Amino acid sequence: MSSLADRLRGVLAPAGGPKGPPLHDVQHRRGGPSGPPDPAEILGGEWRESRGRKFLVVDRKYSPGYRHGRVSVADCLPPWARFELLGGTNGQTLFLDLETTGLAGGAGTYAFLVGCGWFDGGVFRLRQFFLADFGAERALLEAVGELAGNLACIVTYNGKTFDLPLLETRFSLQRMATPFAEVAHVDMLHPARRMWREEEVECRLTYLEQALYGHERESDVPGFEIPSRYFQYVRSGDARPLQAVFEHNRLDIVSLAMLTARAAQLLEEGPSAAAAGREAFGLGRLYERAGLMDDAVASYRRAAGGGAVSVRVEALRASAIVLRRLRRYGEAAAAWRDLLASPQCSPAYAREASEALAVHHEHRVRDLDMARNFAVQSLSLQGTSARQQATRHRLARLDRKLGCTPPPPSAALF
Amino acid sequence: MLPAKRTDAAHDQTLQSVVDRLTGGFPDRPDSPEAWVTAVRRLAPRAAEYAPFPEGLDERLGRMLVGRGIEQFYTHQAAAVGHTLAGRNVVITTPTASGKTLCYNAPVLSAILKDPSARALYLFPTKALAQDQLAELHDLANRLLQSSEAQIGVFTYDGDTPQDARRSIRGRAHVVLSNPDMIHSGILPHHPRWAKLFENLRYVVIDELHAYRGVFGSHLTNVLRRLARICRHYGSNPTFICSSATIANPRELAESLVEQPFELVSDSGAPRGEKFFLFVNPPVVNQQLGIRRSYLAETRRIAAEFLKRQLQLIVFAQSRLTTEILTTYLKDDFGGHPGTSEQIRGYRGGYLPQRRREIEKGLREGTVRAVVSTNALELGVDIGALDVCVMAGYPGTIAATWQRAGRAGRRSSRSAAVLVASSAPLDQFVVRNPSYFFDSPPEHALINPDNLHILVDHVKCAAFELPFTTTEQYGRHNVQEVLSILEESGFVHRTGPVDAGPEEDNGDGTWQWTNESYPADAVSLRSISSDNFVVVDTTNGADVIGETSFTSGPPTLHEKAIYIIEGTLYQVEKLDFDGRKAYVRQIECDYYTDAITYTKVTVLETFERSHGEVHVSSRVVGFKKIKFYTNENVGSGELDLPEQQMHTTAYWLTVPKRVMAALPYAPDDRRDGVVGLSFAMRQVAQLLLMCDRQDIGISIGSGEQGDETDLTRMGVPAKLSEEPRIFINDNYPGGIGFSEPLFQMHENLLARTRELIAACECQHGCPGCVGPVGNIGPLAKLVALRILDLIAAGTAALPVSA
Repeated sequence: MSSLADRLRGVLAPAGGPKGPPLHDVQHRRGGPSGPPDPAEILGGEWRESRGRKFLVVDRKYSPGYRHGRVSVADCLPPWARFELLGGTNGQTLFLDLETTGLAGGAGTYAFLVGCGWFDGGVFRLRQFFLADFGAERALLEAVGELAGNLACIVTYNGKTFDLPLLETRFSLQRMATPFAEVAHVDMLHPARRMWREEEVECRLTYLEQALYGHERESDVPGFEIPSRYFQYVRSGDARPLQAVFEHNRLDIVSLAMLTARAAQLLEEGPSAAAAGREAFGLGRLYERAGLMDDAVASYRRAAGGGAVSVRVEALRASAIVLRRLRRYGEAAAAWRDLLASPQCSPAYAREASEALAVHHEHRVRDLDMARNFAVQSLSLQGTSARQQATRHRLARLDRKLGCTPPPPSAALF
Repeated sequence: MLPAKRTDAAHDQTLQSVVDRLTGGFPDRPDSPEAWVTAVRRLAPRAAEYAPFPEGLDERLGRMLVGRGIEQFYTHQAAAVGHTLAGRNVVITTPTASGKTLCYNAPVLSAILKDPSARALYLFPTKALAQDQLAELHDLANRLLQSSEAQIGVFTYDGDTPQDARRSIRGRAHVVLSNPDMIHSGILPHHPRWAKLFENLRYVVIDELHAYRGVFGSHLTNVLRRLARICRHYGSNPTFICSSATIANPRELAESLVEQPFELVSDSGAPRGEKFFLFVNPPVVNQQLGIRRSYLAETRRIAAEFLKRQLQLIVFAQSRLTTEILTTYLKDDFGGHPGTSEQIRGYRGGYLPQRRREIEKGLREGTVRAVVSTNALELGVDIGALDVCVMAGYPGTIAATWQRAGRAGRRSSRSAAVLVASSAPLDQFVVRNPSYFFDSPPEHALINPDNLHILVDHVKCAAFELPFTTTEQYGRHNVQEVLSILEESGFVHRTGPVDAGPEEDNGDGTWQWTNESYPADAVSLRSISSDNFVVVDTTNGADVIGETSFTSGPPTLHEKAIYIIEGTLYQVEKLDFDGRKAYVRQIECDYYTDAITYTKVTVLETFERSHGEVHVSSRVVGFKKIKFYTNENVGSGELDLPEQQMHTTAYWLTVPKRVMAALPYAPDDRRDGVVGLSFAMRQVAQLLLMCDRQDIGISIGSGEQGDETDLTRMGVPAKLSEEPRIFINDNYPGGIGFSEPLFQMHENLLARTRELIAACECQHGCPGCVGPVGNIGPLAKLVALRILDLIAAGTAALPVSA
């Protein structure tokens, strides 16, 4: 009978089945005279030791003149007057980004690189904690906890679904309290999508830094390669493949900080500072969520005034709804009319607009004929059966008020 | 209108009169295999035996139970609760409706009342059962809230739990009702989120333990090994409470699933009324072909006898299709007046939960007079106790038969169970050998958690959840060796000791998970490999309507195969083998297909005389078209599909040269005898192993390498070797433990096979013994019996090894 080892190999790679990629040479040991160079040197950091386990800390400082494309650190400095509209607070703020051993989450996914950035006076500082040895995770997390000691606010990119739950899992796996539980959290993914997402483009940081401040990364490491580069390091002790990963992480954090600054500054300066219709529209959404309705209307109007047609339609509808809520009915009706007149207006929006206009003319302007016209127009557009029913009721009531017998609906339609 | 409530005496009288009618007035007559009713048994009534609430049960719980009318426990409840309160694992195997759930709910609620931080985890094999228990536990928790203001959170946590509710459940649940699949892929890999549960886990309840046999059970053991690792990490050591239907080895099964010692509680203290058990065999209508009257028609007739006399009834059918057919029959006969509520209902998987609840309620309240069900009602769903259970076809195992029969049986009055045999070999064997069913212990449930395919998958999952230490043990094999092999493929990496905080450091090295994947996603607990075929309906567009495991793909999804789902027939138009897709289209036809598979077994290593490790290669070479109901062979076709291979274990019977030579028949007839013998052995093996048909495979050959032969059109070698062997192989890669017990039961297997063939009334073979005439020659039955006699007469009563 074959040995256990042979049978196991048979189970793992059945004959004729797909073969895994060949493994890198794992023979050489770390630290030996002919072994790979010290990771601290390669990565430009310092070892920290706690209870006999070592992890690496890499510190960087970005001076006020450091630029990402058209934007410099000096252009971004806090405090930001309207940062709270993004959900932040102007206290000690940390920009956080993880590099992990996978995207799946769960106890077996490690955060092998915890990158943290913060503004300090006129400069931007960045500290990366690197899990050079699995055994040092606890010590590493303790160090992250220390850095986050007086934290008021944390900023991430997609951290609500990914980075923070993953880090939380790492802390609870080590039976430690997470330092981020009571801290304000701004996940920039959502405002960024609102303001800067273009159709058919994934709203990634690399895309944004290029679109917003014209920064091009050179030889950036693709995200899917990152876990395998780390595993390669784990087996060989050779940190060279990780240099690009560290740089990738640093660029992400600097970009994130600049992005946050841009959003906060826009909120402060208002829609006139918006570069495009979409940006103004996203700004309106943020104002609206924060209850700043006048700012929201101004932003929507700016968005409706220029930019892509799709943005224009959305902005007209959004402003009409806000204006109605503000009881500025005349202005709301004007917006609905503009929406109806837009060539890109979808049937659903057209139905909504004509219905709103029917209500407006029946109850406020008291122009029953106009109301009836809009109701008939609304009925001609697809809606749920409940909506159609409501519109038929309205039509019947209007006809009663107008004192005429209703023509058959089909005749009214065509 | 409902009949007025009758007195117990009048009710008993009515039931007795139907039993008398069916048995011709002789309910005590001896077994008569040739008769219409082949056996009658009378199970004596039993009075209740009570015991006081055990010491240590929380007083508030005791008061609440008294308020609910439960002033003391049945003896088995008291025993079970006593064990668990003392921290001993217990497995309970009392009959249906004996109050099993209280055996685990009582200690769990008591523990939570005493210590609100205590937690419990319940495992059910299906989501529906968890929902059922949720209702019961909610009721108990509400009563405790009212009587003692104790807040006890009870939640189900499974694939249906909405994402946004999950966090709150993790925080608030004292009792989590789930299933092994969810524990495996949703809870254990995310154990840090469940820290509160694992730190305080006091009890683990495993209901319907007997469901965990074969592959599913082997997976569950590994899930429980992983659970034990996590509990150790969080410092808890839960007590296990298991409940099982009657099987031969409940304690052994519990101990091999949980890998801890167990106490067994099997003597029920619940009262039981007198019960009759009848076996019915539909009469032969065609002696030549061995064709019997339809068992469905027979079931309808017997159900009618009881229904006419206002007795409440459950009918069990074998499939969703037959369930619908029988429901239609009975509605035609007994449907109420239009507009009145339905008194005859069907019940099966696929009905919406609301409809199911309505039917269950109707049964409890008596407004539903008869229900026709698949095995969906076999497990613990609460439908009250009915008067009569009629089973259309043998459920496949002794354990399942008792379980279903237990659906009828009131505490103080008479009840009856009737088994109507179909013409399938297993049914025929059981109905003609009643003592096999009534007098022998039920089946053994077998598992093999150390099957390497299963083990390796779970070692990966376990390494993902918590790094293994370099001194850790897991399962029967050397897990350190398993981990070194996993390291070769890059799944784990061996590293130095882990920093576990200022105090702890045992200095052991660890194996860290170094792979991007989430290994639990690639492991399905209900099969050995997660590779499968999907079935795409192209009737209107392209909808995925089903899936099937990799091994059963070719025989069920080859081109021109008829694929059946919920009674709707589809024909396979194209099988994309590499893409693992079968494209089907709806069709109306009166036949189904049965694939002809040629299987060749090569013995790799003999463990002991006639079982060992084998290489199995099988190829679908053709198919038969078989007419519904009559099972006539109405056509066939040839196929050429890729070969499937696996390493597994097998048992075999060698027909010695001497025996072959002593057979005074032509070579073809001798071959047919061996083929017929193998057909019958398969049925008996399935019966003895308590396994499903697809769990084992059968083949004939020499067991040597490379003797390619011509095949008959039934997929067996046209010419046999001098010493042919009949192989019964375990149908899972690596084997799940079926071959060794077969080897142990060798003599019993041959004796039972002989009984099956000899007792069959057909002349030349039929589906009930050596296979239908047409598949085999006219002498098969005779030759098969002769072979068995010669083997038994020879000195080589034991299997001979080459």
